[in-house]
Amino acid sequence: MHKVHTDRIISDFPSPYDSSASPYHQLNFHPLVKSVSAENRSGTVGLKICKAVLVGDVAVGKTCLVNRFCHDAFDRDYKATIGVDFEVEKFSVLSIPFNLQLWDTAGQERFRCIAASYYRGSSIIIAVCDIMDPESLNHTKTWVDEAKKTAENPNIFLVITKKDLATEEHVALMKEEGKKMAQLIGAELWIVSSYTGENVKEFFFRAVALTFDKTVQSEIEWINNKTNIQIGSSLVDMNQTTSSSRQKSPTRSNCC
Amino acid sequence: MATSGLNEIRTNENISMDKSNSSVSSTILPWDRFSNWVYCVCSVTFDLELGQAMEMIYPAHVKLTEREKLNICYLSFPDSNSGCMGDTQFHFRIRQCPGKKSHFPAQFNYNKDCPASLQSDAGYWFGFVYFRQTRDPSQKRGYFQKSVVLITRLPFTQFFSHVLSIVANEFFENGELSLEAACHDIDQWPEPIPGQNVQLPLVGSVLQVCIPSRLDQMIISPLKIGDSNHSLGQEIYPSIHEIDIFSPLQTVLNNVQLLWELVLTAEPVVAMASSPSFCANAVQSLVSMIWPLKYCSDYRPYFTIHDSEFKEYTTKTRLPPSVILGVTNPFFSKTLQHWPHIIRIDDNLGTSEKSLSKMKKAFNPKALDTKPGVYTEYKPFLQKDKQILKRFVKGVETKRPLEVQNTILKRYLMELTQSFMIPLERYAASLMPFLKNISPFKSVPTLKPFVLSDMLASVERSGPQLTCGVKGDWLGLYKKFVRTINFEGWWRYRQTEMNRKLQALHFEALADADLILWIRNKPEVEVVDIILRLRDKLSLARRKIIPVSENSIRKVNIQLESIINCVPDDLKSVLMSNNRQR
Repeated sequence: MHKVHTDRIISDFPSPYDSSASPYHQLNFHPLVKSVSAENRSGTVGLKICKAVLVGDVAVGKTCLVNRFCHDAFDRDYKATIGVDFEVEKFSVLSIPFNLQLWDTAGQERFRCIAASYYRGSSIIIAVCDIMDPESLNHTKTWVDEAKKTAENPNIFLVITKKDLATEEHVALMKEEGKKMAQLIGAELWIVSSYTGENVKEFFFRAVALTFDKTVQSEIEWINNKTNIQIGSSLVDMNQTTSSSRQKSPTRSNCC
Repeated sequence: MATSGLNEIRTNENISMDKSNSSVSSTILPWDRFSNWVYCVCSVTFDLELGQAMEMIYPAHVKLTEREKLNICYLSFPDSNSGCMGDTQFHFRIRQCPGKKSHFPAQFNYNKDCPASLQSDAGYWFGFVYFRQTRDPSQKRGYFQKSVVLITRLPFTQFFSHVLSIVANEFFENGELSLEAACHDIDQWPEPIPGQNVQLPLVGSVLQVCIPSRLDQMIISPLKIGDSNHSLGQEIYPSIHEIDIFSPLQTVLNNVQLLWELVLTAEPVVAMASSPSFCANAVQSLVSMIWPLKYCSDYRPYFTIHDSEFKEYTTKTRLPPSVILGVTNPFFSKTLQHWPHIIRIDDNLGTSEKSLSKMKKAFNPKALDTKPGVYTEYKPFLQKDKQILKRFVKGVETKRPLEVQNTILKRYLMELTQSFMIPLERYAASLMPFLKNISPFKSVPTLKPFVLSDMLASVERSGPQLTCGVKGDWLGLYKKFVRTINFEGWWRYRQTEMNRKLQALHFEALADADLILWIRNKPEVEVVDIILRLRDKLSLARRKIIPVSENSIRKVNIQLESIINCVPDDLKSVLMSNNRQR
């Protein structure tokens, strides 16, 4: 069964870091998503999965960000990621099991040629850069462009790390720069510290909630198209929804 | 502590990929996880001067002897010039050179609880090959020829073929680095613990598989890989070992029972086909015909004239060995013409490619004929079951789906095997000592010996004639079977299983016995003896070698402590320090 840690339950819609630096303006889950989720509280709908890739220059703190979130740990020693690291985090969003796959890629140049295979099918792109290294911020555009090629209509996030190392003035400066970049690449901006943990959980919750909302919405849309029920019609046949949505994705019936 | 780490993986039901579990990560070295699944991945190229040559091995620290390398190199390429343009996949099985570690870290735990026929054999490797041959004008001979090979000890044919196809395609696309990255992915895979669902990240997607367990219901799982959904990055495998046995055996299905008898009694069999993939699949299908029984002798899905066992297996000075070989080189028609059972597999069903050997010079009428079929003088013990053959013919006529034909064939064979094994299983169970003979104050009772005549006598009462429609000389078949290595392997497995059960019962008896009362007035030497024995048992139980509950372990531990508390102080300190040293 899908056992979710009490720390991974999302029932309220999380806010952005700075609403002026986000392309996502919704304030809550879509009403349809809410009602569908409420209907499925019993857990008849199986597992949903979303794939996230972390990209960015060498040593900007991609692995540290993952470790802080997944293990609540911070390791000062720098170990370069070989290829790609992998983690699964189990969430419960509006009482529906939702797994986040985190693919933490290597920032080293030599691994670039293989990266595309690892980006395939991701619905979240997390571009990471170092607050003390403005160049790494500039590079995020290339990283995101590369990852977008094989991703599926992804939600994009720009995460500036190592906030603990910077003065307030510097943070303010980088925030302005980050905003510009975020706008350019269509991302939502976050400034976090994996060392102190500041904003790390908030960021991942936000990313997961937004992606959950999108996934479920597109699923509803898909079903509606299939069953010729118009979006917005007040009667959505829930039984129909559950049974056909189960057929759609074989992965769900086999929740582990 | 190593044992507690293991327990935590066990109880962590589904995804044991949790690195935060510090006691787990501390017991795991880099490449430990990897080596549970795969020994190494290498690329083999065809060098115009050197012939087959190993380009690289990953992980780099892995040791292969020259002989092992040579074997892998030769087995990684088609043996005859039969074209094989494009991509070809097949697998082989080789012997490891003696003198090295012949198991993977989690092998004991895996073998203990997996189905017997899927146990990993110490000293043997499987090699999965992905061979690519394409026209390439830039190459001297105008061809690009290269293989990616995955070496493992786990017999998950279906699964590793799939894994390798992913890895090899990446390699051909992006080069060496993709092997490093893929191996790193595999190094994050959780231990293969029977009965667990595991999620295995590989090249950007996640394979979800269930590790087979001996507690699994003996049902035939579907062949088809669950509709993979790449957009979700998740692929589900209903089974990691089930293969298509219908297609490779189709042309010889007429003799399906005879083949079953040959495999059951470990007769020397050679399967000849024109391509490595076809002979490999044929041999693997033959071996799995007696599922759930384990085929215990050696088998080589793909065997070449360069193999280091070539002389040993083809010599005419001795009787042919009890092995099953898959070959493609026409030369074998001659070398193995003295073999009693030759199967020719026609792999040209529906394809235009023309068949293998045009060996007209062979001396033996058996080898002369290249038509598909079984060439043997073997007289089966059992009568032909015409019903099942009719069913297959009808299936072909009505274009029944392959999956269904497979299910019918597998079920038929499994029922045949089970009908055959039930009397043996029953007889074996009757060799267990009675429960009342298990006393905590005595040593564990031993199993009664296996007496063939008793077993045969029991066949008359509870034989396969009761559960199976097939008539024939079942007794004769038993007599032949008990002299084979397959019987030996089965009996050893059953003995181990029953002894573990006895040990467990004895352990439970100890947990509930009043040992304090018993040691009263006993000489010190006997008290020390029981302390040492309890310690041994506890250690076995903690390592799950004796299958008992945590509660019993706790109880026996309390027993042990209270006995130690009863002995004089000087002896106590000796015992304590002795324990620490261990």
